[in-house]
Amino acid sequence: MAAAQPQVPHPSTDRKRVKVYELRNNDWFDRGTGFCTAGWHPVEDNQRELRVIVESEDQPERVLLETRICKEDGFHKQQETLIVWTEPSNGVDMALSFQEAEGCTMIWRFIHRVQQQLNPGATVEDDTLSDDLAMDMHNAVQLPEAALGNLNVIEDSMRALSTTAASRDALTKFVLNEGYILKLIPLVDQAEDFESLNDLHRLCNIMKLVILLNDTSIIEHAVSDECVIGVVGALEYDPDFPSHKANHRQWLKDSGRYKEVVRIEDGSILRKVHQTYRLLYLKDVVLARILDDNTFSVLNSLIFFNQVDIVQHIQANQAFLGELFDIFKTQGQDSRRKKEAVLFIQQCCSIAKNLQPPARQTLYNNFLSHGLLQVINFGLRHNDVAVRVGATDILVSMIDHDPQMIRRTIYHQIQEKQPPLTDSLIDLLLIEVDLGVKSQISDALKVLLDQGPPTQPEVYAKANGEHAVRLQPRMPTADPQQEQFLDIFYDQSAVKLFQSLILLKDRATMDFSVQQASMFTYLLEILCFFVRQHHHRSKFFVLNNDIVKRVGQLLVCKEKYLKLVAIRFLRQLISLQDEFYVKHISEKKVIGPILDVLVQTMPRDNLLSSACLEFFEHIKKENIKELMKYLVENHRDQLQKLVYVEIFRDIILKYDQTRGFSVSLDYFMEAEDDVRRKRPNVNPRTGGPMEYVTMDPAEEEYWNTSDDEEDQQAKVGSRTASANGMSPGTKLVDYGSDEDGDDHVEAGALSAEDEARLGSDKMDEEMPRLGEGAPPERLSEKRRREEDEEDDLGKLIQHKRRNSTSTSANSSNSPVFIRKGKNGTMRRDSGGGGGPKKIAITLGSSIKAGTNSKPEDEA
Amino acid sequence: MSDLDKAIAQLRACRPIPEAQVRELCHKARELLIEEGNVVTVAAPVTICGDIHGQFHDLMELFRVGGDPPDTNYLFMGDFVDRGFYSLESFLLLLCLKVRYPDRMTLIRGNHESRQITTVYGFYDECVRKYGSANVWRYCCDVFDYLALGAIVLGASNTLSPPNEHISSEDYADADIEIEVCNADGDIMSRFQRRDNEQRSPNGAEASAGSKMGPPGSGASGSSGGSSGNPTGAVLCVHGGLSPLIDTVDKIRLLDRKQEVPHEGAMCDLLWSDPDEIDGWGLSPRGAGFLFGADIVKVFNHRNDLSLIARAHQLVMEGFKEMFDASIVTVWSAPNYCYRCGNVAAVLELSEGGGGESILARSNGDVGRSDGGMRGVMMESESAPKNGPARRYRVFQAAPQDSRGMPAKKPVADYFL
Repeated sequence: MAAAQPQVPHPSTDRKRVKVYELRNNDWFDRGTGFCTAGWHPVEDNQRELRVIVESEDQPERVLLETRICKEDGFHKQQETLIVWTEPSNGVDMALSFQEAEGCTMIWRFIHRVQQQLNPGATVEDDTLSDDLAMDMHNAVQLPEAALGNLNVIEDSMRALSTTAASRDALTKFVLNEGYILKLIPLVDQAEDFESLNDLHRLCNIMKLVILLNDTSIIEHAVSDECVIGVVGALEYDPDFPSHKANHRQWLKDSGRYKEVVRIEDGSILRKVHQTYRLLYLKDVVLARILDDNTFSVLNSLIFFNQVDIVQHIQANQAFLGELFDIFKTQGQDSRRKKEAVLFIQQCCSIAKNLQPPARQTLYNNFLSHGLLQVINFGLRHNDVAVRVGATDILVSMIDHDPQMIRRTIYHQIQEKQPPLTDSLIDLLLIEVDLGVKSQISDALKVLLDQGPPTQPEVYAKANGEHAVRLQPRMPTADPQQEQFLDIFYDQSAVKLFQSLILLKDRATMDFSVQQASMFTYLLEILCFFVRQHHHRSKFFVLNNDIVKRVGQLLVCKEKYLKLVAIRFLRQLISLQDEFYVKHISEKKVIGPILDVLVQTMPRDNLLSSACLEFFEHIKKENIKELMKYLVENHRDQLQKLVYVEIFRDIILKYDQTRGFSVSLDYFMEAEDDVRRKRPNVNPRTGGPMEYVTMDPAEEEYWNTSDDEEDQQAKVGSRTASANGMSPGTKLVDYGSDEDGDDHVEAGALSAEDEARLGSDKMDEEMPRLGEGAPPERLSEKRRREEDEEDDLGKLIQHKRRNSTSTSANSSNSPVFIRKGKNGTMRRDSGGGGGPKKIAITLGSSIKAGTNSKPEDEA
Repeated sequence: MSDLDKAIAQLRACRPIPEAQVRELCHKARELLIEEGNVVTVAAPVTICGDIHGQFHDLMELFRVGGDPPDTNYLFMGDFVDRGFYSLESFLLLLCLKVRYPDRMTLIRGNHESRQITTVYGFYDECVRKYGSANVWRYCCDVFDYLALGAIVLGASNTLSPPNEHISSEDYADADIEIEVCNADGDIMSRFQRRDNEQRSPNGAEASAGSKMGPPGSGASGSSGGSSGNPTGAVLCVHGGLSPLIDTVDKIRLLDRKQEVPHEGAMCDLLWSDPDEIDGWGLSPRGAGFLFGADIVKVFNHRNDLSLIARAHQLVMEGFKEMFDASIVTVWSAPNYCYRCGNVAAVLELSEGGGGESILARSNGDVGRSDGGMRGVMMESESAPKNGPARRYRVFQAAPQDSRGMPAKKPVADYFL
């Protein structure tokens, strides 16, 4: 977005590029482009005059414009880059159009100040200021004594001095050496006593100028105990809001805002705690509107370094930690203190998110060794919702940092035959009323039950960025502890977690309370995640508990958002491209209810009908024959009513064309497949980590393996016969981004052929689309590039993993998830048995297919 | 006074409503939004607004300039939150108005209506500060997932009605005005008549309009063209722009939109792309979405029988910017963006077609289209490019400083560290 305009003009020695215009016959005549300067220029008799001069760009000796700045207020600034005036000598209207807003602002400020100076009403003598005025400044500066009577001189001088780097430095030195802030502070009280608003406004401006000098020492001084109240006091009277007065002093004086759970003995650390709070207040409240980028970053880095010191101090201070965690160990302790201790730890963790991973790691390790898990357990069961929120926050920030750390604790609990943390989380999820806590717990469950990567030496590197994960060779074996954990989970906990879903079996009506309905949305989202992640385990669970049938029941409830969740779950199942689920879905007859939902809503165009249509579109596009067959054979009447929709027309057509001729069906489908399937098969490479295929032999090996699996999948998958003589293997060879174009031609040809054979009437519509809907070849290039961009975005949001998890939970299309999924699942799967292998690849491609990343998919 | 009206009154005073009430509101909004198609059909007259970005006081100024809801129909093209200090109040107010006047307010999704973006650019932070927990942020994000992705404005007239009560409608009868730019008080700043030949170019320094109003470089509007005499085509409103995966408006209807904004794919592109002076498609420096050139817009508009695409997403110093022979316009409604960019803002008014262009059913769950909505109104046609509707831009500045408190974030109440 547009660059922010700095509050204090920074010096810039280079000249400003401008176009000079003159108004001739009501038309702006371009006098040429050149460089603009403003300043003193010698005229005859050793006199100097303030002038604006533009020298031509191509002929430097030629002066396009030379105008004297006179006291008549003839200049106007328009827009960001335009100064217009009427030339006093000849009455011609002139305009300077600047290339950059900054240059315009600078020249404009100069002109403006000069005119103020020339204004006879000004109380300042011309000669004292004329030196300050010039754009080139000399070094040492001296400001008048801090007194109410001098405020206008001080302000004007400061403003002038702020314009160039040299004079800013000089001014900074002066302010620091003279302790000028301390001298200014008593003036605030004086001016308040006199009720002199004018002086107060000037003081505010002066204080702003001082802070915007952007000097670390000045800012540190300004927030010190001796200064801070005076400084924010001055800033309470903002001349931009003449009728308002802020109450910063009152806010900061309130010492009750600081909660001391355990005394911090170290005086310097305690000072830093207070200083940090003031800096935050300054940044967010006092200066929020006027901060320029430089001052913003100075404030931020001051805050950051303070926080590093504070956290370092705490985590290294055993006595402190001992006292902190002892609060929870004593029975009957003051419950308010326990609450505050939880909130204290919560704040520690949220600060830690900004730290470097090693420092964060040490902090968490120290916390854990002092019994953080008990604290979380205590907090999660607390009757005060704020404490529960605090405890979940702590848990989630640790999981964000490194889920493996928490998983190891869980393995330990399992070995000790203690109920694992996940069971407590499940209990809580089922009874929790606060939706925020609930959604965080459900996210936490998902992450913990994600089949984590095998134990790695560099634990934190992994949490820090995807790079680490990517570079590590993919271990062929899964972590046996995680396996055991999952076994136990599916043996015991899963039934408890999904009980309300399983119990739908004996339920006749689908009337739910708001609470229940929202519970189902959480459960189905979690289950979607499990289905993606825990292939055979979750499959067994889904079958055993007849989950698909239960979800089908939800399709007739009255809450539309719940129907939507149910449809999305079934959509997830079919997008796994697992024959098994496909069969299961058709056996359980849940497609009918989805069709019913569509028929009920259909003439309308709403979210529900879009979701249903997308569901059937996917069946058609992915050519899931089993389901198309099921649909036409069982719901032909309903489909007939919907034939005005292309999807259903095609489904019926496909079925009719092929019924009873299974060979021809395969032939047919195969041709379609080439067009429609090519992309998904190829995609895991082009869309994915194409560039690191060559990086690492293990990686290479992995990809080769996955290719084989892909072959396997292709064979085992829906296409049993390859009638057109093209083996799936051949197809897989010609992947590659450079061949998008070829793919395309082929796609066009084939589909046109198809259309002809089908005798379809939509050919006219199809052809132009293939022609011009064709993506540029650059598409693949873009995708590669996006990969890079994503990394950046990934970094940006890295410490907000919580949100990205909820994101991925929400959508299988979420890119964040894709990244994780791609890296995560594939690594695991290459080690798994035959079953998971198959699924693994289909997962990859289905995700891609889900994102509709190629126009052919749309065809 | 109903609870909702009370909530609206409270929010108009820039005071947040309690968490329980937010939950209730979001619940109602969800019920309502689930009934909207991915592309909402809106009948003219309507006032189209661009990014708001939490600049609550400027949103109030927008309502002052454009007319108070429900007297004026509004269509907001997303980016309600982030960057400004009052994302919460701004979004909740818009949502309240949506629930209160569902047919007079249309909200579509912007790229900032996303969990990931809001955690980085301020909305998350603001919710936590104002409520002490992220719950309200979660409720709002849930609503974001239900927001429509675009809107189609039908029945816009190719003539304007007077901008204020001081000007009689007779003055408007003869003048064949295509574009009119008004200031915040409704006074006309400039007008452009529908042209018969190719000579006018209101933008650009060299061929300036010749008055002091438009000195060089200030060009407040882009070039625009179109031949007169054709009926007005529909106007598509999206936050970002077009997608290479979307060649017809009906393709948008096939997306399952209830999800976080993905990083790629059609839904992402609609919210992230930008028009640019290029041929075809190009890489977007934003890392999501694409750049698209005039040719893409022309083909898309022709194929979908559109006369104009209105979009937001990019700061334009003049508040609005027409591009590619007025086939696409960027509308920006956050004056002095980030409290320091120094830009003005604009809203785009489209008047109601006088020719009895019939009442158009809104796809708020009504049965709207005889053919069931799949092949819909957006059928390809063989006609010439449609003439643009008459457009009035009302340009306004940031709310007077005094009318608001000092904009600032709410400080953290208690601290331990």
